[in-house]
Amino acid sequence: MEKKKHKILIVDDSEMNRAILLEMLEDEYDIIEAEDGERAIEMIQKHETEISLILLDIVMPKIDGFGVLKIMEQKRWIEDIPVIMISAESGASHVEKAYKMGVTDFISRPFDALIVHKRVVNTILLYAKQKRLMSIVEEQIYEKEVRSSLMIDILSHIVEFRNGESGLHVLHVRTLTEMLLHYLVRITDQYKLSEEDIAMIGVASALHDIGKIAIPAEILNKPGRLTDEEFAQMKTHSAVGAQMLKELPIHQEEPLVQIAHDICRWHHERYDGRGYPDGLKGDDIPISAQIVALADVYDALTSERCYKKAFSHEKAVQMILNGECGTFNPLLLKCLSELSDHIRDELGNNFADSSNQREMRKVVVEMLKYEDLSSSEITHRLLEHERMKYSFFAEMSEEIQFEYTSVPSMVNLSEWSAKKLGLSEIIVEPMKNEKIVNMMDTENMNSLIKMLRNTTPEKPVVQYDCTIKLNGEDRWMRFICRAMWSNDEQPQYTGAIGKVVDIHDARIQRNNLEHMAAHDWLTGLFNHNYAKREILDRIKKRPDSKFAIVIMDLDTFRNANYTHGHLFGNKILKETANKLKQNIRSDDIAARIGGDEFLIFMEYKDGISAAIERIMSRVSGKYEEFVISLSVGLAETDIVGADYDKLFSAANQALSVAKKTGGGKYMVYNDTMSDISSELSPIDVIKDNNTNL
Amino acid sequence: MTLKECYAVIGGNYDDVVSRFHSEKIVKKFVLKFLNDSSYELLCSSMKDENYEEAFRAAHTIKGICQNLSITRLYEISGQLCEALRNGFTPEVPILVERTKEEYKQTLTAIKEYQRQNEVV
Repeated sequence: MEKKKHKILIVDDSEMNRAILLEMLEDEYDIIEAEDGERAIEMIQKHETEISLILLDIVMPKIDGFGVLKIMEQKRWIEDIPVIMISAESGASHVEKAYKMGVTDFISRPFDALIVHKRVVNTILLYAKQKRLMSIVEEQIYEKEVRSSLMIDILSHIVEFRNGESGLHVLHVRTLTEMLLHYLVRITDQYKLSEEDIAMIGVASALHDIGKIAIPAEILNKPGRLTDEEFAQMKTHSAVGAQMLKELPIHQEEPLVQIAHDICRWHHERYDGRGYPDGLKGDDIPISAQIVALADVYDALTSERCYKKAFSHEKAVQMILNGECGTFNPLLLKCLSELSDHIRDELGNNFADSSNQREMRKVVVEMLKYEDLSSSEITHRLLEHERMKYSFFAEMSEEIQFEYTSVPSMVNLSEWSAKKLGLSEIIVEPMKNEKIVNMMDTENMNSLIKMLRNTTPEKPVVQYDCTIKLNGEDRWMRFICRAMWSNDEQPQYTGAIGKVVDIHDARIQRNNLEHMAAHDWLTGLFNHNYAKREILDRIKKRPDSKFAIVIMDLDTFRNANYTHGHLFGNKILKETANKLKQNIRSDDIAARIGGDEFLIFMEYKDGISAAIERIMSRVSGKYEEFVISLSVGLAETDIVGADYDKLFSAANQALSVAKKTGGGKYMVYNDTMSDISSELSPIDVIKDNNTNL
Repeated sequence: MTLKECYAVIGGNYDDVVSRFHSEKIVKKFVLKFLNDSSYELLCSSMKDENYEEAFRAAHTIKGICQNLSITRLYEISGQLCEALRNGFTPEVPILVERTKEEYKQTLTAIKEYQRQNEVV
């Protein structure tokens, strides 16, 4: 298979300079080019994992080389992608700054083609090697993590049941097991044990006695000698422990679990075949179990138990070597005897402390060694996975999704969003970007940013509706954003993530519905319901003002309908409504409340007659051949009080008086009408302005 | 006219450039490519618009290219212009612009002549 070429990104605003570098490198490398810093950032974003090296100029439009480095640092790209800076700016301060910002190399112009070529090759090789090493180490660490988390799974399961009898026992056995194994592989290669195996046996040794949780506490903690029956029961712990591991619901095929099983089952076997449960002999007993058995006996001897005092280290070793505590593999006895002094020192008085410190030191050394590894490489796979997931869902959702960082001021759009908006995926200084400013009002932008800054880490989500110009059309959009706050003690606002949803159609529809709900379909005036709501609101807000409700109807409207048809009737109504609209004040409310009935609500100070007369004279007149004439009734809060229903019915009574007395005039309600209104005869003239008749 | 002779006319260092590029062929390719470079136009237009930031970049690019190609005379004069423009307009800018333009034109004329003769051959 053809080897894949490494990709190099050349960033230089001079086409000529790029061409020269291209000439030197294109045979061996896959070259991509960017003509300024902004474009470079876009390309790094897009090809991040593929780029093996960046050749970067300093002086460029939009974002210069140092700007690119700054963003690379923020995005942590600089940790994985080597940068060679090439510039005519060879001043010491420039070079120093470049190195400080993480460039791998600095080449000044005029350069020697061979040198550039050689440095490029070297840098790429170096980084490739480092990456390989990182992935090897990463795998090892990963395995270690899995193993320890597995241990925690099992142990935490068991700890609940454990009695506190043996305190450091588990730790002692483990330490001793590892020491003996390390020594064993030095004196013989009989057992084919790798470092990996030794570490695993050490970890698994902690589980050797887990079967004891099935033994009754009275037996476990009995101070005196066990009866034969009790001892028989005690002996079951090895088989029981092995059984437990065999029945683990998960992790069954892990080597660690298999080793732990062997240790559990056979750590009471004896080299001479007289142990339990299976009576295995010699090296039929797995070496792991043999070693743990020895470590177990040693620790039992040197610890105080409920049935015995502790023996000294020397005494314990002596007893074991003398065969007083069972028969062991001679090789292991050799290990024990030769390691004796070392064991005493290691498991001495300050064992717990020293062992913790040792663990701690190991952890620290490991962390120092792989500092950048834990942060970048180990999580890289996961991040890559998350990134793919994110971009897939972003695309599926068909929503504009973005990420905004405040310093440096930068917007990151999802691929789909960028395409949709006709913007690039990365926009530096968005508030100064011409396309963005054209799209979104600065005022809206500032309001949104202010809202985000005013959030708290506890309540970081805001919603903001405004219009955005898309393809020349203003559309209503909803921003749903989450402000990002740092984890510091004093959280810092660092930017926001969010999405923008097109709510234009929904909003327009809602506006239409609202309009329809409030307005009369024919004339465009308010409808009765809405007018009533507005009137109630108005009265409530201004209790000291004087208001009047005016109801009017068209005197001979029924004739118009009969003679000219409904369409003509509708025209009359529209005409009347239009004239009303034109002749009321902007604060007045006009509504059509029934067939040919209109309502006007107005505030007044001294008198209302002049206004009514003006409206009547303007609205009345001829429409085509039809004469428009109005009858009007009105009721004032001065007389009736500020109650809508009373005002309305009073105005109606006044209207019917006006009608019954010939129409074409207006009547102001007064108390005399309250009883007689319906019985009024045309002769009971109260007031007649004689218009239109 | 050979490339070496052309370099003599434009006040460049032929030996230096060939030693750095390790091939006369490549040098020739880029010297001819210099004819298409647009930095000169950018310098003229940005000076006219009094956009000194852009003028600086144009001068900087000319300087960089000439440095790469060891076109020493134009490199030096454009370098001076570059420094004069680094922090915006300074009194010596106009004269340096004129001298850069003059030198640029001469260089271009010589390279065009070299191109013409070598096409014929």
